[in-house]
Formats: sequence, structure tokens, C-alpha cells
Amino acid sequence: MDEQKNIPRVVLVGLASCFGCQINITNVEAHLMEVLGQVDMRYWQLTSSEPMPDAFDVAVVEGAVTTEDAAETLRRVREKARAVITIGACAATAGIPGMAAAAYEGRAAQVYGSAVPAIIDDIACRPRPVSDVIAVDYEVPCCPIDPYDFVRVLQKALYGANPYERTSTLCGECKRNERGCFYGRGIMCLGLVTRQGCGARCPDLGRPCNGCGGVSVDANVEGARRVAQRSGIDPARFDKALEMFNQVPREVQR
Amino acid sequence: MLYRVIDAHELPGLVQAFMRDYEVIAPVRSGKSFAFEAVSSFDDIVLDYPTTLTSLKKYYLPPRETLFEYDMADGVTDYRMEVRPRVLFGAHACDINAINALNLVFEDPRYPDPYYEAHKKATMIVGISCMPGDSCFCHLLDAGEVRSGYDLFLADIGGRYLVSIGSVEGADILEAACDPREATDEDRRAFRDYTRRRQRAFNEEIPSVQEIPMLMDAFHSDDFWEELGSRCLNCTACSSVCPTCYCFDIRDVLDPSGETGRRERVWDACTSPQFALVTGGHNFRPGTRERVRHRMYHKLNGFNAKHGRYLCVGCGRCVKACKADISPIEVLKFFEQKGIEDGDRDAD
Repeated sequence: MDEQKNIPRVVLVGLASCFGCQINITNVEAHLMEVLGQVDMRYWQLTSSEPMPDAFDVAVVEGAVTTEDAAETLRRVREKARAVITIGACAATAGIPGMAAAAYEGRAAQVYGSAVPAIIDDIACRPRPVSDVIAVDYEVPCCPIDPYDFVRVLQKALYGANPYERTSTLCGECKRNERGCFYGRGIMCLGLVTRQGCGARCPDLGRPCNGCGGVSVDANVEGARRVAQRSGIDPARFDKALEMFNQVPREVQR
Repeated sequence: MLYRVIDAHELPGLVQAFMRDYEVIAPVRSGKSFAFEAVSSFDDIVLDYPTTLTSLKKYYLPPRETLFEYDMADGVTDYRMEVRPRVLFGAHACDINAINALNLVFEDPRYPDPYYEAHKKATMIVGISCMPGDSCFCHLLDAGEVRSGYDLFLADIGGRYLVSIGSVEGADILEAACDPREATDEDRRAFRDYTRRRQRAFNEEIPSVQEIPMLMDAFHSDDFWEELGSRCLNCTACSSVCPTCYCFDIRDVLDPSGETGRRERVWDACTSPQFALVTGGHNFRPGTRERVRHRMYHKLNGFNAKHGRYLCVGCGRCVKACKADISPIEVLKFFEQKGIEDGDRDAD
């Protein structure tokens, strides 16, 4: 806390990701200055030239852990931050970088053939979500994040609100949007197992859910596979589709 | 009850008369299903719709509703709701019965709900007769007919409608817009034919079970609930589409400025994993077995104990919305099966 101004000091750290979630924060446009006015923004990886400072109150982390260096950074962040917020699917579930997690040992050879640079072994590690390395207080899910959702969660951390979020899956929100079900048309949708919170906006726009909000801890994946099968969709296809954002098994995510 | 008859060709005029002073909400085609929406033309209305994807409760209990607004500088401002006078045109008996059940909750004289009251005061209801679809079972839960809670109820008796008049306002609009006449013996015969035809059209695979509330108590600990719960996807689609699920959560929503915000009421669901989570971290219904059972109990047992009627009106929406085949029909089938097994045992 800045003693003089009583304003929480915030840092924003980017790990393995496309940095799209960091950019999407700026999409609150009309409210960006209001939001920045509530914090002492000490470091924003996308925009800062100076290294991350040593003292801060709230840390925002984007991206998956793909190097030991990143894991070390996280441990340092956790030591200093009163609250840690992850943003985006990569940080929450290992997301897109996480797609490399299965059969990880052979991945470098797939890319480099027989000439795998020695440095790969020195720095890289199997992709992991942030919560696999440090305790996370708040999470802003999805790929990319909704900037207003980010502001809502940031304010929770700033003003000390309960991190409680619902873990029911997406179909309830979809029905609130008064949408019929893709499965009725034989189309696969991952909303059956994906955590609610986004407002089921892709299905509302006519696109099936691809699971970027992460598989809910209360998802009934086996039950969802049965639904898929009954609608003429091979459960193996369902599993494959889940890999895009949920490759890293759930027990690791927790 | 007062009855009159109008000809089918008078119906557009009736809707038009409502449109002058009311927002008209009516069933319209929506994708492969039907939805209640505001309409601007009689031609958009599909009066012989089977059922809609979601119910009419959104007009009484919106999915998200501001209760009041607050400002760090000025404190709390009571929210002034803009309520448009509206008519729900073309509601089925089950759905009017559902609203009657909601009234019992939100008009409880001890805890009247001003927000609900404001919506209700501004809302008229014109019911319409229907033929049951495959998943309809209103007749098994005393909700197949409706005796109150509407302004007008139109029964299609072939080229004309037998209109049951439920309010002075309804009668006034009917008189002004149409040329209602006394029902003749022929009209009454046509109505009787319609009710018989409808009664015969219900899906006979859905079992009629006596003493449902008692059976709920008798089989409270049966393995059936474990099996039914194990299918649950934890999605809460059931309560989203249910015309009588009225549970809500209240949350404070801060504006991005951090200076102003709103207290909102949002739909909640007892099938949501966090519904019975309390401060300190204890969850009174931690598993799907407990949550699914609880929902069925409230619908088929608990509400009866308090209000003397089922909270399920047999509209069949959850039958379609639940991808895991969890619905009151499964409970009725289970009771029927238990009855057969017990009968067999007694015969041995």
C-alpha cells in the first residue's frame, strides 16, 4: 500500500500467452482512466520498460507456466502480493500452451527434429496453470477475458470482497438467454462441462462453446460424454475438443 | 364464472385493442422452438404453439433486476422501476397456474415483495387452450385447468372461442374490441368435445400416481436419488426454464469507477453447487444426489406442505432442457415401479 495515498500498488505479469488478455483490459476504454485511478499501477509487462518492482499489493498474472524461470517469478510474486489474480485461460488451465502438455517429452523433437537446442532442456518445463505453482486468490477466466469481468474481479481484490464464484456449468446461462440446444441439432458444444460466468455469449451468438472458461470442478464429464454419444457425437471427439483449453487434467488445475 | 363466445376472426381486433395501451407479449416462433416475446403484429403470434422454451416468470421475476442504486457520496437511492403495462397473451393453463404459485410466495402478506408486486399490478393475462405435447403432464399435478389468475381465457372450440372472463378490465376490453355473445348449447357441447379430446391426448407413458407427497417422504433415502443425481450435469438449465423456480441471489455490482453501483437480484438455483454453501465453508447439499432430490422435494412435497399445491405444474420444459433426463416424470415412473414391485411382493 502506498502509505501517502493509500492506493493499492498493482503489477501485471505476463507469462506464456498471446498477451491478448492484457490488451483486452484496455478495451474498457471509456472507464480505463477510472479504473487506473483506483490503483497505483507499478508495472504492466506489455507497457513497461523498467523491470518489475519489489514492492506491490496486488499481482495480476496472465499466461501459463512453461519455464522454471516463470515458476520462480510466480513464487516471488506470491511472497509479496496480498492478492494474486490470474487472467485468461492460459493462466487458469494452461490454455493454449497447455496443449503441449500431453506427451510433453517428445514435443521439442517434433519441432526441432534431431537438433534440439540444449537450452530447451535447461529452461522449458511441462506447461502448467498458475495455480499449479502458487495459490491463486481470484480468477478471471476465458480466452480472452471480458474486460468488465476483469474490473469486477480487480475491485474484489482491491476492496477485499469474497472470491466466491459459482461452479455450475454453462447450460443454465444459455437457457436464460432463451437458446435452444446445439445437441438437438447434432452439433457438439462444450457448455455441458464448462464453468458458467461468461453469460454463454458464444452460444448466444450462434457458436458452440469451446470450453475456454475451463472445465468446472463440478462438471460431470462422463455424463456429458453420454449426452454427446446419444446425440450422435463420438465421445472421443468430445474429449479431443476439450483438449484445446483443458488439456491439463483437472486434478492438476486444482 | 362468466362465459361469452367470440368468433375467431375477432381475435386480431382483440389483440389490437390491447396494443393501444399495453405491450403485448405472445408466443412466437424462435428457431426450432417458441418463445414469449413482445409482438407488434397479430400475424407474428403462434397461438397453437406446443410450449415455449422458457416460461413467463421473467415478466414477474426478471433474471436480473436492480433493487436499488448506491453512490459513495450520496448514499442509497431507492430504485424507481419503469413498469410498462403489459398483457401476456396466449398463456397456457399450466403457466397461469405457475404464476398463481409464484403469487403465493411473493404476495405472502408477511413479506410482500414490492418489485414483484409492481410487475404483477402492471400485467394482464389472456390464457389460451392447448393440446398436450409428449412431455406435458399438467393434468397429473392438478394444473391442467386454471380457475383464476387470468383476465380472459380463450378456449378454441372450432372457429370460435369460449371466453372465460376473469376480471372487469378483461371484460371491458373484450366488450370494446369484439362482439361477445352468450354461449349456446352447441357452444357448450363443442367445449365439452374439446376437453375430452384434450384429456385423451396426454402421453399415457407418464404414470398417474396418487399421494405423491407421501411417497416422497416414504422413499426419501432410496438409492433412486443417488442414481438420478449421478446423471446431473450441474448446469441449472432445469431451474432456468422452470416457470416456478423462484429462488434468487442478491449481489452488489460496483461500477468500473468504484464510486457507484447497484444491488441486484439474480436468479439462483438449488441445483447450483454453491446454493447451500454458507459462511465458514459448509455446504448443506454438497452433492448432486442431495441437490436433485431437494429440487424434486420442493416441487412435489415441501411446497404442498406450506401452500397446499404442487410447485410443479407439469409444463414439461425441464424434460426437454435437461440433457441428462432428470425430471419429475422420472420420479413418477420410479413411484409407479415401486408400486408394481410392492404389489408383486404382496402377491407372493
